[in-house]
Amino acid sequence: MLRIVSSVSRPSSTGILGKVANTGRRSLASSSARNADITLTVDGKEVTVPQGSALIQACEAAGATIPRFCYHDRLAIAGNCRMCLVEVERSPKPVASCAMPAMPGAKVFTNSPLVHEAREGVMEFLLANHPLDCPICDQGGECDLQDQSMRYGSDRSRFHEITGKRAVENKDLGPLVKTSMTRCIQCTRCVRFANEVAGVEELGTTGRGNDMQIGTYVEKTMDSELSGNIVDLCPVGALTSKPYAYNARPWELKSTESVDPLDAVGSNIRIDSRGVQVMRIQPKTNDDVNEEWISDKTRYAYDGLKFQRLTTPLVKQGDRFVAATWEDALTAIADGLAASGASSNEIQAIAGHLADTESLVALKDLANRLNSDNLILDQTNGHLPPVHGVDVRSNYLFNATIPSVEEADAILLVGTNPRHEAAVLNSRIRKSWLHTPLEIGFIGERADTTYGYEFLGADANALETFVSGKVADSAFLRKWKAAKKPLVIVGSAISEHPDAAGVYNALSKLVEQEKSRLVTPEWNGFSVLQRVASRAAAYDIGFTPSRAASQTKPKFIYLLNADEVDPKSIPSDAFVVYQGHHGDLGAQLADVCLPGSAYTEKGTTWVNTEGRAQLGRAAVSPPGASREDWKIIRALSEVVGAPLPYSDALELRDRMWEISPSLVRYDVTEKTSSGIALAGINAIRERTAGAKIGGAAFKKPITNFYQTDPISRASVTMAQCTRAFTKGENYGFSESSQTEQAAFA
Amino acid sequence: MSLLRACVQATAACKRAPLQCVSTFGRGMANDSIPAPKKESSEIVAPEPVREVLVADAISGAPSQLRHRPVRIYQPTRNTMQSGPGKSERWRLDFDILPGGSRWENPLMGYASSADYMQGTRLSFRSKEDAIHFAEKQGWDYFVQPEATKRIPPKNYSENFVYKPHKLRIMRTK
Repeated sequence: MLRIVSSVSRPSSTGILGKVANTGRRSLASSSARNADITLTVDGKEVTVPQGSALIQACEAAGATIPRFCYHDRLAIAGNCRMCLVEVERSPKPVASCAMPAMPGAKVFTNSPLVHEAREGVMEFLLANHPLDCPICDQGGECDLQDQSMRYGSDRSRFHEITGKRAVENKDLGPLVKTSMTRCIQCTRCVRFANEVAGVEELGTTGRGNDMQIGTYVEKTMDSELSGNIVDLCPVGALTSKPYAYNARPWELKSTESVDPLDAVGSNIRIDSRGVQVMRIQPKTNDDVNEEWISDKTRYAYDGLKFQRLTTPLVKQGDRFVAATWEDALTAIADGLAASGASSNEIQAIAGHLADTESLVALKDLANRLNSDNLILDQTNGHLPPVHGVDVRSNYLFNATIPSVEEADAILLVGTNPRHEAAVLNSRIRKSWLHTPLEIGFIGERADTTYGYEFLGADANALETFVSGKVADSAFLRKWKAAKKPLVIVGSAISEHPDAAGVYNALSKLVEQEKSRLVTPEWNGFSVLQRVASRAAAYDIGFTPSRAASQTKPKFIYLLNADEVDPKSIPSDAFVVYQGHHGDLGAQLADVCLPGSAYTEKGTTWVNTEGRAQLGRAAVSPPGASREDWKIIRALSEVVGAPLPYSDALELRDRMWEISPSLVRYDVTEKTSSGIALAGINAIRERTAGAKIGGAAFKKPITNFYQTDPISRASVTMAQCTRAFTKGENYGFSESSQTEQAAFA
Repeated sequence: MSLLRACVQATAACKRAPLQCVSTFGRGMANDSIPAPKKESSEIVAPEPVREVLVADAISGAPSQLRHRPVRIYQPTRNTMQSGPGKSERWRLDFDILPGGSRWENPLMGYASSADYMQGTRLSFRSKEDAIHFAEKQGWDYFVQPEATKRIPPKNYSENFVYKPHKLRIMRTK
């Protein structure tokens, strides 16, 4: 379903011009603000589109398919491939429909002989220099050039140059993107993406005409956490995926639409699998979450699913693990629980980053049935009740919602680097920064974002100063004071910081001061950016310790996907169970390991940082004896004598509905009303009143974007990315580009 | 499937009713054909409306495992590798995979084998309602993934050259 709308998804620059005109200066725009709809005729069919649409959009709305290479819905219009030529009445020549605005009353023909001839001509020129290597090209089967040449290509060539086809040297863009620049048709989609979305201005074009080349000017890798998207954008096989090279053909793959849990954005993905293996991960378009982009970790960490897996239950005997049956392992846990003598709050459950909502609910129910409230999160200070509390949802969610980030006119980032904590969200901030006069203030450890910001300080004192209004006048401050929709993005690392109480106190004062603009019925600008997938769900179901429980020394510890846990925090006499899919840190600490499923192997609920519940789907079956996570906990509950009252997924979701209906209202965000949101903020202020500020600087919680969880730590591709981008070393492929290249054609 | 289980399901279905508005879980009532025990009373009881859905499972003799596996009804999104929007108009119904090893790799050739006879089956429907109706007729549990509305703002070539009053924020290298 396609809907062309005038306001969402791209901040238009005419907004600025409108403002300029209001201040009494002469507008330089020749076109008025676009609000009206216009009607035109495409192939005899009347269609109405918003004024200012491109002709190609009008044709699409009318249901006519226009072939294209350079035009892309989410990038600026280039108009250089000329494949989208259409005939417009009373126009002497065919016009490029992407670069032509739709005019009221125009009569457009997309299927006339003139159009066909024109497109065939364009196609012949494109194919003249395109190598005929489809059988060895990774794009084969999903190549736009291949598809469109089936319709507009000729079956024989008029190209008889002695010198042969144009040959271009391959570029080295790093361990993710493989290049075969001879295949390039210079659509410049990659360059526009790098410029506008990823913020990599090194990628560009040199030369012109037949000598035009895409490259990074000097030999340089493309250092961006969104670089994998240029593989999708490339309409031919010039840019292909290096880890996926020669691995599979698209028609062999079974695709499953699911959700990504490697960060808290909840990007929609399509898992392409063959047999028992995940072959690749592609973005699934969703304008409410990730548009059409996913981060490189989401896209390429899948090879970590093949390594370091726990495939069978393990029981520690002496200093080594011994494989066991499920029955033995569960009995060993029941025995261990009895032997440790743990009762009530001495039973501790730790929820890790990749724990799904179903298993969190089951684990909390199990712990509560064993009279324990000792439910802690796998993070620094996770054993304490969170400073923002979990009673009001808007205290820990990204209330502004991800698409509305583009509506904000001033953004204050507190202790967060969205580029690494939510790469896709960061691209939205950049989009808004490019197209509107957005100003950004930054408190925290300096980071290389893809947009300019005003640095206001690195610690809680800077925030305190900002709230008290004693900061020097600056562009950001002026903008902030005049902003209609100001946005505060608070990093998830703040609640782990020693000054958390002080920071949240200052933030609640800020919200109170600015509540007429920050928290209104239409806009809630107080947004917490979570960085791990399980966190919002854990807060939603109340997976937090009571004050009494947080003081108790545990004797029995259940690690659910918890791999960031500090080994020193685990008492040496405690009995430790690890449930998860990778043999990472958590498994080393355990007395019994239970093999769970990774996100590609279970259809579970993930709640993203906005509080949007999304249902994933299993693409492949879990390896070996591993099982779905909530089922393991359900089985364990029988063995320890506290059976849980649900035995299939639908019953468990009914239980989730009882806890919070928002957990099973899929694909929507539930807004907190402004009254309740303000009450939640007031509760924070009262709870943290008189909190002292130590003044320690905020630290980036993610130092290496490419390795943040057990899956990406087990991934070879992510290890190469770490070498190439985080450490800046030679990642092991550059040598091959120095060797002589085979001369084809 | 016992009568008790059917009762549990019926209550579960009632509780679920409020979420039907957004994304829908449904459970085919496979035991609807079992008549409810008649009450002996003198009151006049209004006749139950006849359900349109006759669960095929009651008479088809299909393996009962089919009933225990949810199907998903969704509109596949466009492949981001290609610009053509083909096959994204129709609603697809397919089966969740079986838990446990329903697939394995043939050790000789590395071919993928499967004991799951529904993996190759994918049904395609013109509308969501058709797909739901079919799943109900078969008595399958289903989950409906709501369609995503694609929102593309009007785009204009002239936006490349629009005057910006503030400092230049992008270097176009195209």
